[in-house]
Amino acid sequence: MTAPEATLAAEDVPERRLSPAVLTLRRLRHHRLFMTGFVVFIVVLLIALLAPWLTNVDPDRLAMRYRFLPPSPDHLFGTDNFGRSLYSRVIWGAQLSMIIGVSVVAINAILGTAIGAAAGYFRRIDNVVMRINDALMAFPAVLLAIAVTAVLGPSLNDVIIALGVVYTPRTARIVRSSVIVLREMEYVQAAVAAGAGHWRILRRHILPNAMAPLIVQLSFLFAYAVLTEATLSFLGVGAVPPTPTWGNIMAEGRQYMVDAPWIIAIPGLALMITVLGLNLLGDGLRDVLDPRLRIQP
Amino acid sequence: MRSGMLGAVTALAGMVLAASGAGAETFKCPHVGGDFVFGQEANVNSLDQMTSSTISTRNVAMNMFEALMTRDENFNPILDLADSMVEAPDHMTYTFKLRPGVTFHNGKPLTSADVVASFNRYAKIGLARNALDNVDRWDAPDKDTFVIHMKKVQPTFLLGLSSFSIPIVIIPSEDENDPPQQLKTIGTGPYELVDSVPGSYVKMKRFAGYVPNKHFEQRTGFGGYKQACFDTVTFRIVTEGQARVAGLQTGELQGVEDVPAKSVPDIKKNPKITILPLNNWWIQIALPNTSDVPTDNLMFRKAVQAALDMDEIMDAASDGNYKLNVGFQYPNQADYTDTGKNTYNLHDTALAKKYLAESGYKGEPVVLLTDKDYAPMYNSALVMQQELQAIGINAQMKVVDWPTSVQLDLNTDKGWNFFFTGWGTQPALGALDTMQFLVSPHANYKPPGDKDDPEMLKAWQDMNSLPTAAERQAAFVRMQQLTLDKVYAVPFGSFTKVQATRSDVKGFVPFRIPRMFNVWFEK
Amino acid sequence: MIGIVLRRLLSALPVLLIVSLITFAMIHLIPGDPAAAIAGLSATPQQIENIRHDLGLDQPLMSQLVRWYVNLLHGDLGRSLLLGQPVLQATMFRLPVTVGLSLYALVITLIIGLSSGVLAALRQNTWVDQAAMIFAMIGISLPNFYLGLLMIILFAVDLGWLPSGGYVALADDPLRWLASMTMPAISLALLLAGLLARITRSTMLEVLRQDYIRTARAKGLPRRQVVLKHALANALIPIVTVIGIIVSLLISGAVVTETLFSIPGVGQLLTQAVLNRDYPMVQGGLLIITALLVLVNIGVDVCYAFLDPRVRYDGA
Repeated sequence: MTAPEATLAAEDVPERRLSPAVLTLRRLRHHRLFMTGFVVFIVVLLIALLAPWLTNVDPDRLAMRYRFLPPSPDHLFGTDNFGRSLYSRVIWGAQLSMIIGVSVVAINAILGTAIGAAAGYFRRIDNVVMRINDALMAFPAVLLAIAVTAVLGPSLNDVIIALGVVYTPRTARIVRSSVIVLREMEYVQAAVAAGAGHWRILRRHILPNAMAPLIVQLSFLFAYAVLTEATLSFLGVGAVPPTPTWGNIMAEGRQYMVDAPWIIAIPGLALMITVLGLNLLGDGLRDVLDPRLRIQP
Repeated sequence: MRSGMLGAVTALAGMVLAASGAGAETFKCPHVGGDFVFGQEANVNSLDQMTSSTISTRNVAMNMFEALMTRDENFNPILDLADSMVEAPDHMTYTFKLRPGVTFHNGKPLTSADVVASFNRYAKIGLARNALDNVDRWDAPDKDTFVIHMKKVQPTFLLGLSSFSIPIVIIPSEDENDPPQQLKTIGTGPYELVDSVPGSYVKMKRFAGYVPNKHFEQRTGFGGYKQACFDTVTFRIVTEGQARVAGLQTGELQGVEDVPAKSVPDIKKNPKITILPLNNWWIQIALPNTSDVPTDNLMFRKAVQAALDMDEIMDAASDGNYKLNVGFQYPNQADYTDTGKNTYNLHDTALAKKYLAESGYKGEPVVLLTDKDYAPMYNSALVMQQELQAIGINAQMKVVDWPTSVQLDLNTDKGWNFFFTGWGTQPALGALDTMQFLVSPHANYKPPGDKDDPEMLKAWQDMNSLPTAAERQAAFVRMQQLTLDKVYAVPFGSFTKVQATRSDVKGFVPFRIPRMFNVWFEK
Repeated sequence: MIGIVLRRLLSALPVLLIVSLITFAMIHLIPGDPAAAIAGLSATPQQIENIRHDLGLDQPLMSQLVRWYVNLLHGDLGRSLLLGQPVLQATMFRLPVTVGLSLYALVITLIIGLSSGVLAALRQNTWVDQAAMIFAMIGISLPNFYLGLLMIILFAVDLGWLPSGGYVALADDPLRWLASMTMPAISLALLLAGLLARITRSTMLEVLRQDYIRTARAKGLPRRQVVLKHALANALIPIVTVIGIIVSLLISGAVVTETLFSIPGVGQLLTQAVLNRDYPMVQGGLLIITALLVLVNIGVDVCYAFLDPRVRYDGA
């Protein structure tokens, strides 16, 4: 998209003379909730990227003599039942959350678009693809994720794949709906009549116009992915411990929740703020890009 | 030399328990009534003890079903439904007389036909049916007599028969063909079933027709003189440890198993709660895979053994509720021996590094196979990993769930080096039950091809077949020494499970399985 | 109308067939031994082998698959390995528990979600609106297990107001059912209430802007009447759609909530079944649950068509 400087330069230009992309950015800039979410997201992203410089303590290092220390200036977020530094674990957890979110979004962006576009554009395969899609969506999401992680094993990659399996059908369905509508548009029909190839029509005429709902969906998806991973870890089927995902930290701290509540409280708060930020971001994108969209779970 | 429990069996042969003349008064409930609500951590999936080995099943079913023999407070075999037992001088038959006046919960009097039916069902589908391998047949000469005929002499037969692990509970003869896990819940115990909702609760009530065993004055172990003092007992499934504590604090629960150790200091301050530690709940243990590198190398295993700090491992495993313990029995048991204590809890980095150098270890990965369903196993593995890394071993964790870790342990002998588990029931049952883990089939140290180390096998055979109790005990001592010297097992220590009741609950003495008889509410 | 129902029911059949195939493939791909799960701790290898044999788990996979489908055609979903109960019976026994919890959560969702949504729309851009929307936003950003844990600490442990677990059947003791279900229902409802509040608000705003509402207001009809009779009635259409979504989210949420609060519902049943490799239970139980969810969605579609006759079912 356009570089930020372009937006700045565009400040004083009347709206009608701006390109759509610049216009969108400009509207987003003035959307207070979007900016709040955007800032939260950027902060978490920076923490994730800078994790090695923010803490020099190995998040997995045990220190049995320093178990269950409450938060203090020496141990910012306290320590857990193995005396591990929760500050370090929560910081590294941010990185894992971002990795999970970005990967699941990428899987959805690629596979969801491909499947949705194919199904929406080629009527012959629509029925088969959508029945499989329906079947995957018919499973309760968490149960499906549990089963898939059980099949694949409990590594971080496998959890990402499981979340991909759960959410890709939902993304595909959204892309398909847009494509079906766009396919019938006059300009697309005109392109078909002019003898343009399928690939060219999809790439030039349909997909660019189906992007808005997809982007909104993906921003919410980021939040769901982070949230669902935590839920899976909490149920004991997420990334293998001692991987310091926020869900894992909470799962391990659960049995100490009364006597050492900080172990679950702090990563929970971090999770909530991150998801809140992502949701605000998604809301803003929806308001600006596609105001008619409904909330898609 | 201690004669040990392996000897107790001989003492039992020919025994007709005389009503004790000690003059102690027979137990009588000081107060009868009330609903005792007990917070249990694990789901009760089935009440069919013959086909379930889980502790949660036993927790409930042991109060409703009884067997011919069981174990007393110190885990020695005693008679329960049997009035007397006579072992023939040639050790080829065991003749049981049934206790008179016993009826099932449905009102039907107990006869030897029921015992025959129970043994038939057990031989067909009982999970520990191999305990009857040396039995030729059983029959019932009259309605009060049941006779077991052996194929060959087995000095330890009664130990198996009295085991409470997967007991041969006596059921009405008409239930003989109930499929596995679908046994009707009709026994002879002091409580009878009201209803059971899997995942939620099991409720049982006092069995009005219960006739206690008059050979005893008091409850002992799972036998003795049993009396139900509560009107009803409700086992409520509360999986969350903190929720059990909260229930106990508010009085919603009157008893709980497994209080999270971290909550103990807090509960101790509450005068309305009594803390009841259940010592020696299990032996926390890791088993090496001697089929794969580098744990096939004795010097390497000795390096591991020398490196470990058992206090640190057990502290993490149990949150501080543990005792250091050498070997495979506990000090309160007849079979106990501290043989091999020179190998235990050395925490000697220099020695470990010396052994490691001698072993020619070249930095191969050492995989600790553990599961996340049982926190003590996971926790002990995590600490052991760090201790091994400290002496330069490339220790890695492989964390899966319990069913997967058991499957990997049983079916693969590559790709992992130590398997983490806890031995609970078997050490309580005695040395014989425990050491069977270390012989084929499925010897736990995974000898190549499941072919026993000949010395281990010889010791095991001696434990089973030598004629005198002292000789059999000596064989066990030898086997423990061998196991620890060759590092075929790494027992970390003894795990304490903390139970608790409201203070107005009297007579609740922690045991392997919570006993709801001879327990009452103080008025 | 009947045509719509029939078409939807027919299109559900292949979906369920695929569901059953996926389930079968998946559950048998999971490593881990159901016998080990059933045996629990402290079983000897010999005992585990006995269990495998007794349950027929040592049979080839293909014959297990064929047997499952043959039995399914006879209406037999098999028997849970773990519980020894027929799958159908075990599921149906637990279903009312989950349905009860879900309905309770749904009531809370509707009360909080609708009222705060309507209020926010009527007081658009005031502090009421902002407070309601912040609340809704937090609701959809809070993991429900986290909320559940915090509530246990606060209401069960510290204050002792509510029981921390332990299910009491509604029929046995309605008051205690209410007490034991309140925390689980709230932890389930908050996310959904947040969703509903946001949807209600935006739908109401859209409707309030419509000409006929302005006309009604201009005719001097009382505000309350306009809001309740006209605006809300029209806003119901998209809200019904959301409720359909909410029902399927409830089942997912119940998996977590039932585990956390030890409630013997289908969520807990199926989670345990997957974790314990209880093949028949997973296969049969998931089939029943997905079939029910599909039915609920058909019901929602029908309601939708009923409320808004303009809607034509497009077969998507």
